[in-house]
This record gives sequence, C-alpha cells and structure tokens, in this order.
Amino acid sequence: MWSLLDKCCEKCKHSDKNPCPDYIECRVKGPLCHDDQKCKELRKKRIEELKYGIHGSKIRIPLSSCTLATGAEEIYNKFKEYILEKRLDTEIVISGCFGLDYLDPWFEVVMKGYPAAIYTKVKGKDIPRILDEYFEKKDVSNAFALRYRTGKAKGEEKVPLLDEIDVWKKQRKWVSRNCGFVNPESLEEYILSGGYSGLSRSLKMKPEEVIETVLKSGLRGRGGAGFPTGLKWKITRTQPGNPKYVIANADEGDPGAFMNRLLAESDPFRIIEGLTIAGYSIGANHGYIFVRAEKPLMASRLKKAVEEARKYGLLGENILGSSFSFDIDVILSAGAFVCGEETAMLSAIEGKRAWPRQRPPYPAQQGLWGQPTAINNVETLAHVATIMSYGLEEFIKLGTEKTKGTKMFCVTGSVSRPGVYEVPVGVSIRYLVEELAGGAPEGSSIKAVQIGGPSGGCIPKDKFDLPIDYETLQSAGAIMGSGGIVVINDNNCMVDVAKFFLTFTSAESCGKCFPCRIGLRKLLDILDKITSGNGSEEDIIVLRQLANSVRNSSLCALGGTAPNPVLSTLRYFGDEYEAHIRDGVCPANVCRAFITYTIDQEVCIACGQCAMNCPVGAISKTSSGKYSVDYDRCIRCGTCFIICPVNAVQKVSKKELVRGEVCG
Amino acid sequence: MLFRKSVRKSWLGVKYVVKLKLNDKEIEAEKGKTLLEIALENGFDIPHLCMLKDLYYGTSCRLCLVMTSRGKLIPSCYYRVSGNEEFIVDSPELREIRRVNFELILSYHKVECWLCNRKNNCKLMDISRKLGVEGLPVCSQCPLAPEECLLKKGILCLGMITLSGCDAECIISGGQCWGCRGPVTREDILERAFRRYKELGFDLNDVLFRAEIFWNSLKEFEKIREVVEKVKGDDK
Amino acid sequence: MEHSNEDYKDESKNIVELFKNLDKLPHNLIEALRRIQSKYGYLPPHAIKIAAKYVGVSYSQAYSVATFYHQYSLEPVGKYRILLCMGTACHLRGNDLNYEFLRTMLSIKKGKKTTEDGLFSVEVARCFGCCGLAPVVVIENPDGTRKIIGKANARVLRAVILKIKRSEGKR
Repeated sequence: MWSLLDKCCEKCKHSDKNPCPDYIECRVKGPLCHDDQKCKELRKKRIEELKYGIHGSKIRIPLSSCTLATGAEEIYNKFKEYILEKRLDTEIVISGCFGLDYLDPWFEVVMKGYPAAIYTKVKGKDIPRILDEYFEKKDVSNAFALRYRTGKAKGEEKVPLLDEIDVWKKQRKWVSRNCGFVNPESLEEYILSGGYSGLSRSLKMKPEEVIETVLKSGLRGRGGAGFPTGLKWKITRTQPGNPKYVIANADEGDPGAFMNRLLAESDPFRIIEGLTIAGYSIGANHGYIFVRAEKPLMASRLKKAVEEARKYGLLGENILGSSFSFDIDVILSAGAFVCGEETAMLSAIEGKRAWPRQRPPYPAQQGLWGQPTAINNVETLAHVATIMSYGLEEFIKLGTEKTKGTKMFCVTGSVSRPGVYEVPVGVSIRYLVEELAGGAPEGSSIKAVQIGGPSGGCIPKDKFDLPIDYETLQSAGAIMGSGGIVVINDNNCMVDVAKFFLTFTSAESCGKCFPCRIGLRKLLDILDKITSGNGSEEDIIVLRQLANSVRNSSLCALGGTAPNPVLSTLRYFGDEYEAHIRDGVCPANVCRAFITYTIDQEVCIACGQCAMNCPVGAISKTSSGKYSVDYDRCIRCGTCFIICPVNAVQKVSKKELVRGEVCG
Repeated sequence: MLFRKSVRKSWLGVKYVVKLKLNDKEIEAEKGKTLLEIALENGFDIPHLCMLKDLYYGTSCRLCLVMTSRGKLIPSCYYRVSGNEEFIVDSPELREIRRVNFELILSYHKVECWLCNRKNNCKLMDISRKLGVEGLPVCSQCPLAPEECLLKKGILCLGMITLSGCDAECIISGGQCWGCRGPVTREDILERAFRRYKELGFDLNDVLFRAEIFWNSLKEFEKIREVVEKVKGDDK
Repeated sequence: MEHSNEDYKDESKNIVELFKNLDKLPHNLIEALRRIQSKYGYLPPHAIKIAAKYVGVSYSQAYSVATFYHQYSLEPVGKYRILLCMGTACHLRGNDLNYEFLRTMLSIKKGKKTTEDGLFSVEVARCFGCCGLAPVVVIENPDGTRKIIGKANARVLRAVILKIKRSEGKR
C-alpha cells in the first residue's frame, strides 16, 4: 500500500543517498518538482484513507496508560469481535489520550460522509449497541460530541461539537493539539497535521537564526525552572568543545504529573522533531531522551517513533539534504526521582549513581562526559517544534508579559474532572480548578491546591485568584514546577500532606550531601512526632529553622525545594499544626493517632461484613446482636468503613469519643 | 580554554595572580586554586570534612559554604578562583548555617569516644569545639587513651554520660568525672554508655547513686532512670 | 537463592545472551542490569558480577549502581508483585490504607515485603501517571504482564488476591 512517505513516481528526485530538502512540504502539497495529475491523485487518495480509513471508515481507540487502566483493552477486543461478526470493512487504529481522564474509556468512530463521533465512559457491553447505531442506523444522538457535522446523520443537531463544549473550548490546545486524534506510531499522520515542517524550515535557516527565533518567542523551560530556552541554547552553542549533546528530559518524577507521559504516548514525533531542531541549533549530532522507568509505554512509543524517523531519513546522515546529521538514543532510567535534576541525569546516562554535581560549572559548559550539553524538558521541545512549524506570532499572543505561550497542567485530586488541560500562562488558579476541572465533587469542599509536587507548596483557597506564572507562585511560597496541580479538600490534613511529601523526598534523597540526607529525615521525625500526638511548641520553631537551613545549604534542587511543603503549610495552615499540638485533635480526622472508627448502633444491621473483613479481628458482636469496635485493637485501616453496606461505620476523633458525644 | 592558558603559562613559570577580597581583607592568590586552600593559607579557619585530596572532591558536607557578593552560598572546597571577586568567608550567618549542618551530622554519628582510638586526633571533635556544638560526652575531651581509661582500672568516672565543655579538667588533674556539667541528652549515647558500664562490671545502681549527687533535681534524670531500666531489663 | 559454582557457568551464558546489541561500554551498565532484573525478577549477585565484567566497570561500581536505583531488587520478589502507587493523588485518596490492609491480610512481616510462601510481594511504586484513577494498584503477573486496578479499595483488592490464590491452588 502506498504511503505518503514513499516516492510518488520515477521523476521524484528524493533518495536515501540524496534526500530532497523539500521532502516534507512535498508529502502533502506535492509533487513540487514535477507536475503530474496522477501523482496528485495518489496523494489525495492516501490523505482520504488516512482521514477516513482504508475502507472508508475507522474506529479510533486511545491506548495510553490512563485508558488502558480503565479497560481500553477489553473494548479493543470487543471491537474486533464486532467487526468479525458483522463482517464489517473497517479498521481499528490506536491513538493517544486527549487529556480528559474523567471520560475514560472513550473512542471515536469515523465514516466518510458522516460526522466523526466520540463516545465516552463506555463499557464493554455497550459496544455492539453503539456500533450498530453508528454503522447501521447512522444515528449519532447518543454520542458525547462530534468533531464536525455533515448533515447526513440522525440526531446530529442535538449533539454538541467538541469545540463547543466548555471544557474543550476553554483550553488553548497548542502543543497537545494532536493528542488523542492521531496514531502515535504513524509518521504520515504527524506530517499530515503539519508536523516536521518546523524541522524543514529550521534546516533552511542558519542555526543562529533558529536560536534568534526561539529567543524572540520568549519560550521558557517548561520543566519547572523557567530558564529562557533560547538563552540556554545560545550559551551552549558558544561554548568551546566538541562533541556537544542535547538531552530531552522525560523523567517526569512528580507524583501527580503526567503531562509529559501524555505528550510522549500520544504525539511522540513532536518531541523528536523538537530535539532534532535543538541539536541543529546547538551543533550537536547526538541526542538522548531520558525516560522514567515507571513509564515503559512512553519509552516504547518513543523508541518506535525514533525507528520510524530513522527509516524515512528524518534521523541519520544529511537530514533533508542538509549537512546536518543527528541520531537519538532512548534511555530508560532505573528508578530515581533525583534523575529529574539535570546533573543527576547526566550521571545516570553515564552509567553511574545518579548523584548531582555542584554547579557552576553548568551542564551548558560541562555536561555529559564533560562536554557542553543542553537539557530541555519534553514539553519545551514540543513547543519548539510547534513554534518552528506554525510561526511564533501566534505563540506570542498567548500568555503574560514575562512568560509567553501555553502550559499543560495536570489537575488531579479532589475535583470532578481530573485530567490534563492546556491553557495560556497567566490564567488564575480558579479558572483551572473550577471552570476546567469542575471544582469539588458533591459533598466536599476545596481547602487548598498543591502546585509543583514535592518541590512546591500549598496555596489556600482564598488565594485562588492568583495568576499561575513563575514569579507570582514563587512569591506565594509555591513553584510552577512541571505543572502538576493536586487539589486538596477538607477531608485531608495539611500536616499529613507535608509529611507525605517529606516521606517521598527523604526516601528519594541521593545521599550525597548532609543537609538533605539527614536534614529531611529529621524533619520527617518531627512531623511524625506531631502527627502521632507527641508534638510540642518547640517543634514548630525547630521545624522552621531546620527547613530554612536545608533549603539554603543543600547541593541540588531536590534538597533545596524539599522543605517547601513544610514551609508553605506552616505559613498558611499553622492553625492545623497548633490543633495537633495544643488541642490533641486532627481537624480533618486523618492522622491515625487522633481518630478511631466506631459503629453507629442505630444504623448497624448486624450483617457482620465488618467483622469478617477486619484484618486484626477488632470487631465483634455485642450482647445486643450489633457489632462494635475494640478501640485498642483497631489499626484504623478503614476497611470496615468502606465495606459497610449501610454506612454505619463512622470516623471520629478520639477526643470526641472520650467526651461521650458519640454512641457505640 | 582559559584553564589551558594558565597551565601553559605556569609551565613556563608564570603564574596568573588574581586579587580577592575575603571578608574585606585584600588578598592576592594564584588563579585556579580552590577558595578553601586560599582561605586557609590566609588565616581563615573554614571547617571542612569531606574534601580529601586525591580521594574525594568534596561538596558533600556543606560545612565549607561561603557567600558570594550576590548572596549565593557555594562550597569553597570546589570553587576555583578565576578573577577578581569578593567573598564572605566568616559571619554570624555562615556560622549558624555551619552549626546546624554540623549538628545534623553529629546527630547521626555513633558517639563512642570512650572506645575510640582516634578521640584525641578527631576532626569531628575539633569542629564541634570550634562551632560550639554541645552534646558530646566528656570522653571526647579526655586525654587518656581508651586503654588507659579510668573505668578499666575500676574507678567509677561519669565521663561517659556527662556533657563535655570543661576540657576534662578533673581527669587531667588526676581525678575522675563527677558529672557536674549535667547529663548527656541523646538517648542512644546514654544507652550505649550504660551498657558499657555493665560490661565493665559496674553496678548500674552505683552509677545512678553517684549521678544523683549533681543531677537529682534535674528533669532529665527521669529519662536516665528509664534508660537504665531498659538496659537492666535486657538481661532477662 | 543459593547458587553453587557449577550453576554459575550455565547462568553466565544465559546472562550474556541478554546483552546482545549492547555495546561493551561503561555507560550501558544501567541497561544491562535492567535486562537482568526483567528476566529474573531481581539481581542475583553473580549476575551483577557478570554485567560488571561485560561493560567494563569494577564490581564495586556495579554494586553501587545496583543498590541505588529503586527498580533493582537484590532480594527475590514474590511470584505476583503488587505495586501500590504512592503518588500524591493516590495518597490523598487513601492508598496508604490499602498498603496496610494488604500487608496485614497477607501477613507480611515487618521489614520484609514478600509473603512467607513467596507468592506475593507488596511494594511501593512511584507514580504511574494515572492520577485520574487514584488510588492505583498494579498487579504484575509472573509472565511480566501488568493489570492496572484503578479506584482500588480493600474490597476490590481482597477479591483479586483470593482469585489469584484460588488459581494457584492455595486457600
């Protein structure tokens, strides 16, 4: 079968040994070097096939980690069954995820002449019915959204277009424009959507001109530090030393952040294009993509994309007829959060323990094996590819004065619509959390958001009108970080949240310097003391002093930002700390030393489920026939709370119990 | 490239000299030397632990931190001077940072000076004295070697459980420690000390009896009794 | 797992097999160890030695890398690995309770992570990136395939464990 990437006829001058500089433009708009109606028809036909499937229809199923977790594989099998049964001439293609996780699992059906319909929150048993409706009855009234209307299907007018739905139109899909709607393994689809035109354009400019463009766009690193990308490239380019290297940081270690995973699983060619442009600008001939160990699907998609790019001459010698040669290695980490720190990543790629190095000298001066190296986050590289492909005028229109463009944010936690949202920099926290992510689900109220993961801080709800940009967040005590936003509600204890992050960072500490290795452990000990009821006023003073000291004297950013959750929770939620210490109460009823579970005797139906499932046998039948909890044996695991069919089990603070206000 | 030039020149016998200001003192130093070397040569005593020539390049203990003119903290054992610059190498703020970092190190150190052959030749003890960090037993300042320890001769000395800072005057004058400076507060040191007393054949009640003399009214004494109970109980 | 010297010889061949397409360079150490971990489920000491020799680093260097990264385990893991995500969203939605529940239900001793009969190991994993489905628990089967359980709670986990136990013929 002819692919857009193949030669259209003998007159085509492109070959492996002699690549044509207009190869990319020619794929869709061609043929450019000769005029032939047959060649044009060939392309037109193939583009139709890509849009509507080889047989005129196709089913697109997203296979990325989040959809696989909700049963996408089962649905895929159901599709195959249906097609076999109905002897339907259609194909199943995979795609990435479009970021609206709360709708998982979803899929899209396309048929030539009819609207492309998206169905969400589907279960395996619904598939035959849905496909019957679409293919046989041409009825789309039960779809969640349509991508366009054709006027030929039933119920079309009543179903909204995707672009009309609030949660979609309130975003600004710049780098994630393709996510969910292209096959991540297909280079053709990427080029069809405008991809690789950025590389083509860049190779026709001088490397210094490319750097100027990136500088003019004002692009800042999206990995968290916000360093101007153009400046980093300029410094690396002007450093003496050969060879130079470029590295794509795909080690997204922040718990609660998965934007990079989404980009790499749904649109990997964009990242590869960005890395190639980076290599060209800096004068590097070899690039590395460093992928987190826990995300193997990301690594395999990137590897496949690299192989495809190599196959069609977009990686290798004399790319697109220029004198530039470039190749990429995808490297899997072995599991260490500290690898996200650039100098630690260099050590890991060199095959050693991921120990950070003292800066200066910076990686731009002495990086991988002592050579000048530029390290960029994958989102930054995706921005580069998009800016070079579509021009920087649009990019500059978005964002704030100091930070241009868009950013992908991952909103999770206590919200009704968790997912990945791309918005211009500078929108308020409220816009993201309430308008896009839907605010708190029924029955809970939001207390604060945590921005920036374990390096960031909490922002209380009365500050939700603050714009999200690097400077504002820093002065509020948090950091932008890689864009992970976790929403915390009234049922979470802030001291417990600080303890959680500190547990994480103290375990991930590489161990090289004392303040981080020992200091974080000591901070954790003090927080343990407070959450187990043994805290004292002195502890708050020591906490603050030690946290500031660790922040100032650590070697790298891990130790330097690890105390941020402690400092920001002390700043905004000091009253919760006081409650633990002075009043012996955990206001959110989370810290186990302060709570216990009790069974409401009025509601209990004596089914015995709680007693059967209690892992320590702390529940037994009383003389009245109902069940009750032995408070001394209870380990507060919460099993009975979840299992009770009538919600008779209640979580109460020990103090309340002692006061005898709760029966049972 | 600049580094290569200086190597070339110094082979020819010419050394590049830079002008530095350390704590407002004007100093001339050889380019390419570390800040720590230069400071030590010029009479500034910056504590350092992890930098060992030809073995480890440093930057780990964070004790040698100095402040640049922009207020940034850098480890002086790693930074090589290249131009005319200003640094603050000693100040109350820096001392505080060094003290906190050192206390962290010490809190994880298994203090057993009574058994240690290097107790009179110990950098950790030197730095703790200079930074004024307390919490170590009198044994850390006692001039007697572990083999010459009074306890081995059957003399009850409370040095293992008493805070140092007195330079072990009483022991130097030929006597033994009676605990006048107060007890060591770290429970792990206390526990190991009482086990040692037991090993050497002392009756823990005798030790407590002696300790009561100066410590009876202290609130920390309760904890000491608890530790003794625990050590006693481990027999059964 | 104890190995005698004779076992080493055959094993060495198997292990070096894993390294085909891998250059004999020091920076490939991490990848070499990862392949051993993938195949055996953990890093047997003799395997580390073979990897060190293959890429050209000292045994101590290889050991320092093997003990640093989370993915490597120096002790054998259970036949079925239960990985609990300790990401923020999963923690806020109560995955630490699931962790306690599993350890208690499977009677895993303190300081260990594997059951006595070696059937299950309960491990903490870093974020999988599926935060929309917090709390996330992943079961890794003996053949390497993974089953992701979103919105895990004690009831669901109990059912999964009993199902596996029954399929293994155990009560």
